[in-house]
Parts: sequence; structure tokens; C-alpha cells
Amino acid sequence: MKRIQFKALLTIGLMLSAGEGAAQQISDMQLVRTLGRVENAAPAIDVALLVEEATASAGKGVANLPNWQKLSKLSQLILDIEFENDSVAIEPKSYRTVGLIADALHHPNLRRYKFLVVGHTSSTGDAQHNLKLSAQRANAITEALSTTFAIAPDRLYSIGVGEEWPLDAANLKAPENRRVQLINLGLVQ
Amino acid sequence: MTNRRAVFAGTIVLTVLALATVARADTISYADAVSLLANDCGSDIRKYCKGLNLGSGRIQSCLEQNEGKVSPACTVTLANVITSIRQRQAAQSSFATICKHDIAQYCKSVKGEGNVLSCLNKATRVNEGQCGQAIIDAGWR
Repeated sequence: MKRIQFKALLTIGLMLSAGEGAAQQISDMQLVRTLGRVENAAPAIDVALLVEEATASAGKGVANLPNWQKLSKLSQLILDIEFENDSVAIEPKSYRTVGLIADALHHPNLRRYKFLVVGHTSSTGDAQHNLKLSAQRANAITEALSTTFAIAPDRLYSIGVGEEWPLDAANLKAPENRRVQLINLGLVQ
Repeated sequence: MTNRRAVFAGTIVLTVLALATVARADTISYADAVSLLANDCGSDIRKYCKGLNLGSGRIQSCLEQNEGKVSPACTVTLANVITSIRQRQAAQSSFATICKHDIAQYCKSVKGEGNVLSCLNKATRVNEGQCGQAIIDAGWR
């Protein structure tokens, strides 16, 4: 049985075991439920502004930047998607996670929403390179979703933030800082 | 000779029936489909498709180009996975059309696709009919 770990998010801790049959259904539905909890007061996000802010403050972190702070208020979860070393190629063992996202995003409860994929790295390696690689990897995920799994491209946005927004700020090299955030950006206009 | 022909015809009928049953089989989720790909083609992908990504058919064309080298199990699985993904997509896009009548009958005042789906899933009559099967094939029950 394969296990895919979805790490804790804010107060919602999700530990999904993506197995066969009934267990699989529950995993899809947990994704759908978590991403579908949309607050009426959810802020609007301008992805171009996020890119602008991240680029302007590379090396200084993004957690306190105004537009990045808004992201914390949105429905989201954190996923582990493994890539080949220094490459945009998703490891076959992580195909399932991308498939699970596709299952969730095609569900009628989520079909009206658009999503942002945020790529994060640990601090191993050069900061600028990490920023670029994380953007390319986030883009590789949305590309797979929009082609292999036919999610409408106008529902998908991607951005890389490199090592600028660590989960574990005390240990920047920690592997859990390498992660993918999937965020519900609200209704498709 | 006549007998043999009859046996032959019988075999064809059985084969067609078997194929029809396969075509009618429940679809599988995208996650399950690509898990099969990872299991049966993972080592070939790492060996022959290094640096290539899942999107835009790149893994598919890489495996097809290396057909002589990849394992036979992978070649079979690749074709099945492509079919599975296509079937699931077809089922999901035909939901609205197939369930149109049932939506009008049982869930007329319900707003929003997600709410319409929960409404349909609660209606026993729907579950037994074509629309119910469409919901199962789409993976939404």
C-alpha cells in the first residue's frame, strides 16, 4: 500500500493514506472537502503581484509581504511531490499525488474554482537558482494537470518562491521546507 | 465444417460480449490510472525518459519511441492508462447531458453543480438509472 503524506496545514492536519478502493474515494473527498471550505471574506489574489513581490525581495523571505500574507487566509493544503534532482521531471512515485489533485479539481464541488500551485525549496543550493527551479517545477505540475488530466488552463496558476517561505524557519535546510502548496483562489470569473 | 463454423461464430459472439463488458466496466480515478503507470513503467521512465515530465504527452511519446526497450508489461499498461484517463474524462463531461432529465425532475431548484450532485446522489430513482451510472463512471459517488 502506497502512502502519500499531506502535511499539516494551519490547524487542519491531514494525514491521508491513499490506497485502493474505498480508501481512495475518501482521500479524493478529503481533498475536495479541504479545498472547498471557502470563506466569504476570502481575499482576491493577483498572481502577478505575488511574482513582483517575491522577485523584489529575493533572499529576504516573503512571509511578511502584503500579498503573500493574504494567501494564508485561503483554503489550501500542502503536498509532497518529488522531482528528479535539479530537474522539472516529477518522479513516477509522485504521479499518484498529481492524479489525486486532478480527481479533486474535476469534482463538481471544485469545478468553479481556480487554483494556485506554489513551489517551495529548502535552502540547499543557490537562492536565485532555487527560486527559478521552484517556479519551473510548479509550472510542470500545472502543465501536467492541464494536459494529461484536462483541467482547464484558465483555472490554474503557478508560482515559485524558492527558499523564501520555509515551514521550518529555524532549520532552513530541512527537507519539509521542500513542498508544494495548492491554494483555492476563488471562483473563475 | 458447419459445426466448426458454428463454434467459430460462437467464439466471435463470446469475444464481442467480453469486449462489450470490458468497455462497460467502471472507470478508474486519475490517481489510480497514473499509479498503474508509475508501478509498471516507473523503472523504464527513469531509465529512458530522464528529465521528461508527465505533461503534454512527453512520457507517453518517450515510452512509445523506446517501445523495443521498455518492458512488455509497461507497454500494455501505458495503453490501458491512456484509455482509462480518456474514459474517465468522457464520463465526467457527459454527466450534465446524461443527467439533464433527472436534474430537471429531482433537483430543479438546486443551485450549483456540487449541490446538484449531492441532490442526485440522494434520489434513489436516480441511483438506479443511467444518470446514476454516469455519476459512478465520473467517480463522483
